[in-house]
Amino acid sequence: MIVIDAVLQGILMGLLFALVALGLTIIFGVMNIVNFAHGEFLMVGMYTAYWTSLLLHVDPLITLPASVAVGMLLGLASYYWLVKYLLRGPMVAQLFGTFGLMLFLRYLAQFLFGTDYRIVQKGLLVGKTLSLGLFRFDWTKTAAAMLSLLAFLFVHYLLHRTKLGKALRATALNKEAASYMGIRTERMNALAWAIGGGTVGVAGGLLVNFWYVYPTVGLLFVMIAFASVALGGFGSIQGAFFAGVLIGIIEMLFPVFGHLIGSDFLGPHFKFTVVYFAYFVIVVLRPQGLFGWKH
Amino acid sequence: MEALRDAFDFRDFSKAERIGLVLFTIFLLIFPWLGAGSFVKVVVIQFLLFSLFGMGWNTIGGYGGQVELGKAQYVGLGAYTVSLMMVWWSIPFWVSMPIGVGIAVGYSFIIGYPLFRLKGHYFAIATICTSLVLQDIFINWKLVGAAKGIELPIREHPDFLYMQFKSDTYYFYFIMALFYTAIFYMNWFRKSKLGYQLRMIKDDEEAAESLGIDARWCKIKAYSIASAFVAVGGGFLAVYNLYIDPYSVMDLDLSIKIALMAMLGGAGSMWGPIIGAAFLVPLDRFLGSWLGGQKGLIGIDFMIYSALIMVVSAYQPRGFWGIIEQFRRKSA
Repeated sequence: MIVIDAVLQGILMGLLFALVALGLTIIFGVMNIVNFAHGEFLMVGMYTAYWTSLLLHVDPLITLPASVAVGMLLGLASYYWLVKYLLRGPMVAQLFGTFGLMLFLRYLAQFLFGTDYRIVQKGLLVGKTLSLGLFRFDWTKTAAAMLSLLAFLFVHYLLHRTKLGKALRATALNKEAASYMGIRTERMNALAWAIGGGTVGVAGGLLVNFWYVYPTVGLLFVMIAFASVALGGFGSIQGAFFAGVLIGIIEMLFPVFGHLIGSDFLGPHFKFTVVYFAYFVIVVLRPQGLFGWKH
Repeated sequence: MEALRDAFDFRDFSKAERIGLVLFTIFLLIFPWLGAGSFVKVVVIQFLLFSLFGMGWNTIGGYGGQVELGKAQYVGLGAYTVSLMMVWWSIPFWVSMPIGVGIAVGYSFIIGYPLFRLKGHYFAIATICTSLVLQDIFINWKLVGAAKGIELPIREHPDFLYMQFKSDTYYFYFIMALFYTAIFYMNWFRKSKLGYQLRMIKDDEEAAESLGIDARWCKIKAYSIASAFVAVGGGFLAVYNLYIDPYSVMDLDLSIKIALMAMLGGAGSMWGPIIGAAFLVPLDRFLGSWLGGQKGLIGIDFMIYSALIMVVSAYQPRGFWGIIEQFRRKSA
């Protein structure tokens, strides 16, 4: 009973993890670059939703488009002002470049908003629970999971059913060949960053309904996203989806497991440690991930 | 014997570099008598410590070209071994520090063996993961002080065996001795067989393997050398601060700073990590004390710091040393 409940809660959380991982995996798939600032993009999305809903007195679910727009702009700005130049350098420079961006955004947030923990207090769904038979779900989490599923389907449609998506996938497969076919790969890179920023912006807007936002919130989520992306295979979108959900389940099931066997050591304070450890084991044993197609 | 000769042989450096090194050494030797304030002394000690860390990182990260972002776990292992042995059994620093280094090296072999199956981004993220796992364990492990950390017992009198002194000057000379040991070691290392093998692996791993170099084993060796370096630094940190906790000695930020200083200074060059530390440690400290303390300006020091990181990685990925070499080649 408690196990089934944990699994269901884990799926809800996992859908959101998957949405965070989606942007990371698209950017990696298209241009082979790991965006360390991804967690900070999430934080920006969270702050956007928080402030717009607070200042405009509307529900944070209505301000989601604002989070999307800010996320996309942030993605585009990062690409044109920073990543474009980083691409010329070696991998070390790319890692540290996006790392610098991460620190910059984090401390910008600290500078502007201070280190307070903030959460949306009022809203249509905040504090309400949904009872389904024996199970009870927070409405905020349920709505977030539904909407992130929707966002996922939308991106999937965009990539697999439109011409633009086809061009993007072609760029990911072979940049040179794509440019011979008349695809402007530079624009496709920018598009990848816009989609990446936009999806993580949505995730931020959804997350702030039930998670505190503070300047360093990104680290935890970016590590979870790395784990999801590695588990699913770098660059794989279906992979990121299933891996995100799986990690959500692991994260919820682990404390229950510790509780059931009566071990103090396997408590909830280690639930994210398990995620990091899982990443390590997975990449060592199966470097291409569960659904990976490229290294 | 030959190794020693190599370590003290600086002939293949340019004249400017050798003169610079001598002047720098003289400056360090007389530094405590220059009447600098205690704040400046702390900054210089930090600079030497981070140069030590950076030179360690440079073996695997610079010469080996592996982006390693988990050095803080070895700082932590060194620091915790020294502190715990002192608290539990009051074992002197000079005994516990080598044991700490031994533990760090042993641990680095265990971790390094699976870790070096990975390459590139996978490797970089995996190193972060291992470091975070160890930090989480130490945060929750009651036996080693958990999140509260450990305070080292203070001796009544200054004690060389336990490395406890009243004045920073002694600490300064101690870290300076470690710093020069590291310089001589690195001078030998870059000319050693392993040094050449690593550079070859960095340039083209497949070609290196085809020549019979066991790339994975070379990387593991370099990784454990780097771990030994930072574990020594960690031991120093414990007796210098007399207080450690998982957040100060095992944090991801520390790992990043170590790699960053070496990278910004110029990874894979002899002086790169030192230049990086000489630039970033004072910048970090002075910006922190001038701007960070003022009301309403929290975080602005880190913003400047990170903006600099972005600019350097975008325009000269080979760091400050790369800029110097570029300039030199133009004028030659």
